[in-house]
Amino acid sequence: MTEKIAYYPGCTAKSYAKYMDLTAREVMKKFDIELVELTRWTCCGTFFGLAEDNLTSQLAPMRNMIRTREDGFTDLTTTCSMCYNTLKRANILIQNDEEKASRLNAFMYEEEDYEGDVRVWHLLELLLEKVDIAGIAKKIVNPLKGLKVAPYYGCTLLRPKEVTIDKNPEKPTILSDLIFALGAEAVETPYMTECCGSYLTVKDKHLVADRTNRIIGSAARREADLLVVSCPLCQFNLDRRQKEARELNSALPEIPVVYFTQLMALALGVDVKELGFHEHYVDPTPVLRKRKLLGTPMKVPVKVKK
Amino acid sequence: MDKTTTEVTYEKVKIIVANTEFEVPSNLTIMKAFEYLGWRLDRGVGCRGGFCGACSTIYRLKGDHKLYTGLACATKVEDGMIVAQIPISPANKKLYDIESLKAVPNTMLEFYPEIARCISCNTCTKACPMDIEVMDYVQAALRGDIALAATLSFDCIMCGLCATRCPAEITQFNVGVLARRLYGRYIQPEYKQMTKRVKEIEKGKYDAELEKLMKTDKKGLAKLYAERVREKA
Amino acid sequence: MVNDPYPDYMRESIKIVEKTREKRLKVTMDHCSPDEIDDVLNNYHPDFIKAQKASLRFGVSKGEVVPLEVAKIIETKSVLDPKKVDLNKIDFVVDLLIIGGGGAGANAALWAIKNGVKAENILIATKLRMGDSNTTMAQGGIQAAVREVDSPAIHYLDAIGGGHYENDPPLTRRLVRDAPLLLQWYEKLGMMFDKFDDGTMDAIHGGGTSRKRMHFAKDFTGAEIMKTLRDEVFNKEIPIIEFSPAVELIKDDKGQVAGAVLLNLDSKEYITVKAKATVVTTGGFGRLHIQGFPTSNHYGATFDGCVMGYRAGAPLKLMKSVQYHPTGAAFPEQIVGLLVTEKVRGKGAQVLNKNGEQFCFPLETRDVEASLIIRECGGRNNGLVTPSGQPGLWLDSPLIDQIHGEGTIAKNFAAMVRQFERFGVNMIEDPILIYPTLHYQNGGLAIDENTATAVKNLYAAGEVCGGTHGSNRLMGNSLLEISVFGRAAGITTAKSIPKVSLGKLTLDHITKYNALCDEHKVKNPPSPILFPDYSRQEHKDRIIPTNFLV
Ligand SMILES: Cc1cc2nc3c(=O)[nH]c(=O)nc-3n(C[C@H](O)[C@H](O)[C@H](O)COP(=O)(O)OP(=O)(O)OC[C@H]3O[C@@H](n4cnc5c(N)ncnc54)[C@H](O)[C@@H]3O)c2cc1C
Ligand code: SF4
Ligand code: SF4
Ligand code: SF4
Ligand code: SF4
Ligand code: FES
Repeated sequence: MTEKIAYYPGCTAKSYAKYMDLTAREVMKKFDIELVELTRWTCCGTFFGLAEDNLTSQLAPMRNMIRTREDGFTDLTTTCSMCYNTLKRANILIQNDEEKASRLNAFMYEEEDYEGDVRVWHLLELLLEKVDIAGIAKKIVNPLKGLKVAPYYGCTLLRPKEVTIDKNPEKPTILSDLIFALGAEAVETPYMTECCGSYLTVKDKHLVADRTNRIIGSAARREADLLVVSCPLCQFNLDRRQKEARELNSALPEIPVVYFTQLMALALGVDVKELGFHEHYVDPTPVLRKRKLLGTPMKVPVKVKK
Repeated sequence: MDKTTTEVTYEKVKIIVANTEFEVPSNLTIMKAFEYLGWRLDRGVGCRGGFCGACSTIYRLKGDHKLYTGLACATKVEDGMIVAQIPISPANKKLYDIESLKAVPNTMLEFYPEIARCISCNTCTKACPMDIEVMDYVQAALRGDIALAATLSFDCIMCGLCATRCPAEITQFNVGVLARRLYGRYIQPEYKQMTKRVKEIEKGKYDAELEKLMKTDKKGLAKLYAERVREKA
Repeated sequence: MVNDPYPDYMRESIKIVEKTREKRLKVTMDHCSPDEIDDVLNNYHPDFIKAQKASLRFGVSKGEVVPLEVAKIIETKSVLDPKKVDLNKIDFVVDLLIIGGGGAGANAALWAIKNGVKAENILIATKLRMGDSNTTMAQGGIQAAVREVDSPAIHYLDAIGGGHYENDPPLTRRLVRDAPLLLQWYEKLGMMFDKFDDGTMDAIHGGGTSRKRMHFAKDFTGAEIMKTLRDEVFNKEIPIIEFSPAVELIKDDKGQVAGAVLLNLDSKEYITVKAKATVVTTGGFGRLHIQGFPTSNHYGATFDGCVMGYRAGAPLKLMKSVQYHPTGAAFPEQIVGLLVTEKVRGKGAQVLNKNGEQFCFPLETRDVEASLIIRECGGRNNGLVTPSGQPGLWLDSPLIDQIHGEGTIAKNFAAMVRQFERFGVNMIEDPILIYPTLHYQNGGLAIDENTATAVKNLYAAGEVCGGTHGSNRLMGNSLLEISVFGRAAGITTAKSIPKVSLGKLTLDHITKYNALCDEHKVKNPPSPILFPDYSRQEHKDRIIPTNFLV
């Protein structure tokens, strides 16, 4: 039976990162898990929130948890690491700080009270818990043989430690494990847990370009074919900002940056045309073609769980 | 009062306007209560039927800390109500040429970047006299879901009450108009038969027939009129 | 039932309505015969009550039969004392002055720009806010013969027959011929009409139509049109002055219209506008409460445009007939007069007397349907009377969900449901009480098909005009009229403006008109009245005048 889980796409996933969203849904279908988008949802609250260290910034994430309950779910998952971070932190606050929780509930008097009882997942976490690495490997129809993939975590999947999705936030392995499971080779770099510059990209693109130069450069020195990320903002900074980075360092090679969901979809046999590669600044298709990974996937009978 | 009201005695309630207490019959709307007090309105009044958004009103109720919003023409007076009107909601509408826009996610943010400041406090929704999910349409606009923003905001009468309450200083009603126009112009498909009909008219296809009807006398017309067959509903 | 909004005796009658519902479901009454129509109109339509009419004693349309309330504000002096206006100081000099910020006015402005008039050379002067108008209130829809089975000729016949053959043929022709053009323009502007997935606009019947050609945007058609047009007027940066109604037209020494005097409602000062073309789009007269009827109209619908035009020498036409919409709300008291759109009947709601019986076809033309309702109440005594003395009959709204499935009412009539809900009445479960309401000014300023009045440089468009609809307008033809003739006014004035040369400005026509009033010893209060007066006599008696302008 298909398992249903409440799904929070996040705003970027509806516009800039729409292929992260689409491929996430496709990927989960292969594992008999249906991502059910919340009927009503608001921005997770990270974006340009009015207030920083203020309870008001918790209204948005908390409201999404309330919506999850309204839709009859106990678990909520999201693909965007930034959303994950915001939702999870808000949830922890509500679980641990009774006074703040009650103040927030009082402010939102028009809603049902919320006590922190929704479990927030990042999709990677959910995959590992519900399917596990071996389970993923079993479903691969197009193993990414010979592809060198540099994992990039950024910060929001790992920090602060209360929200980390990896047992070892200093030296995480989740993405590398996944990469190996897809049949590719993981190329870890010292920059994989460094910040990409985040929203500074709006105010100071050259500062971000400098970080992009280092992050991409370090992957290039290790001969990575592409980078894999789980956050639309990281994707933007590492992909689009290569243009500005190349103004700093004309020798910087072009390296495509893809979402882990896109890479998984490719390995799971989703048609490459559905993956949204045409929307990338650095197109991943040439390197995939070079590695002969764009051919027709072989058809393997799909076993239904249970 | 409109002309039909005959004198029936309703119990009186006290309302407070400009710190002054007045007694008015309990069956009146706020707007009619003002008129009952002898005021001839020329602000804060329009359709008198909840359609135009001219009569935005804020009020508090006895023993209640909340600030309520409503339409003066569609809200009954209550005992102890403290009332003030906001006849105009100031806003900087962004200018655009609809023909040169694209219905892509970013368009909303481009014109109204302040929607990104929305903190999901839902105050706008609570303020809306039309029971619109205002926060949800602002959020839909923020993530570029033009169709959802358009349909959710459809009933907006542009009273501005949401905007006067928004901590992020968003003018929701203008965001809604833009979303609806993008939706109507670019997302709803064109009505093909209409394009065809317009061409026929421009080519003069119906001119002769109309000319003939214009020259038909009353008796002739009456005959034709009586012979019409009404298309089934 | 907790807090039943209906008093016991009305609830009893509702129970009867509920009992008969199942049986009625399959029964529709037949159309009235032509003889019966004549009979019911003559005996029950308010237009046929002779004592309620007067013929104008002076002015360009001397002899024209009008309702008493209209005679009262036409046969009277101006609120403006011409001697107090300094025409050497002009506040605004423009090419095009548009008086009235409703749908016709907005269309005129936008189409003038499309035809070469610069936005900055236009001025829209309006009484309330831009868009506060009858246009905003229109719910039902707009007619246009677009569908394959329809044609402008069929539309013409429907309009002429519905108008009792008194329509002005060139006007009606332009109305039906241009209709699809305007609807298409609205589509291009991005108005959200109800459409099917392939883009086909939904279309339904209205009273008196032989084809389904009423296009609509849920039950907010006029609001959707007005919101979009206003947005467009703002986009084009057309100068607007709000809360500044026109009080009289200005003429020049050659007898041409040359602008208007406006009144600043805050400072109470006058404002002078000189213009090469002036378009009057001030809408209708519901707030005159003809024969004491409640009205569906907005607060500013007080006949000002006709009054000003008449004093400047523009004839009136077809003023004898007034449109009463058959279904205005009759209960609860707070919303008496507000419209219950014809679409409610279009979707299957039946009109019933207090015994739960149908007594007529529910979609006769408006004048006939209204007369039948008045007959059922007054003539046959089969109506109910509310606690505040308002007569009424049932409109069995719950039938709609029974016919079309649950949720139909909520989805299609959200505005209406909300209007009743605000005062505790649930029209999804209970029938609603209705009675005819004063709805539309059938007559008005006479124009030609290019919107020109008989006076040079004076144009008019929209509800302020008479002729297009004969003596009875069909639903959906008025939103159409403001579109077609608003556009026509824009095109016509764009052409005429370059040829205009104005002489010396004067208000002599007002002085002369005032003299005529003296001659006829009129004692009516001055006009235009700008707003209805709903204050009580006990207040009026105590007023210290503070308005020193007049
Ligand atoms: C409740 C209701 C429902 C209706 N439903 C439908 C329908 O479904 N279909 C249909 O076709 N028609 C319908 N009608 C009729 C239609 O809406 C109107 O006839 C039409 O919109 C009139 O447009 P207009 O531009 O001529 O006048 P309006 O839209 O009334 O605009 C006139 C404007 O002029 C301003 N004004 C008035 N006097 C002055 C002055 N002295 N100086 C300056 N400005 C002034 C007013 O404030 C207003 O802004 C409905 C009408 C009402 C009231
Ligand atoms: S990460 Fe950003 S884009 Fe994604 S939902 Fe959160 S705030 Fe919106
Ligand atoms: S954008 Fe940069 S800062 Fe934000 S999560 Fe991704 S890596 Fe961290
Ligand atoms: S009031 Fe403003 S900030 Fe609050 S939810 Fe509405 S739009 Fe967002
Ligand atoms: S959305 Fe805002 S402007 Fe529109 S009706 Fe509601 S409160 Fe008024
Ligand atoms: S007067 Fe128009 S909404 Fe109240």
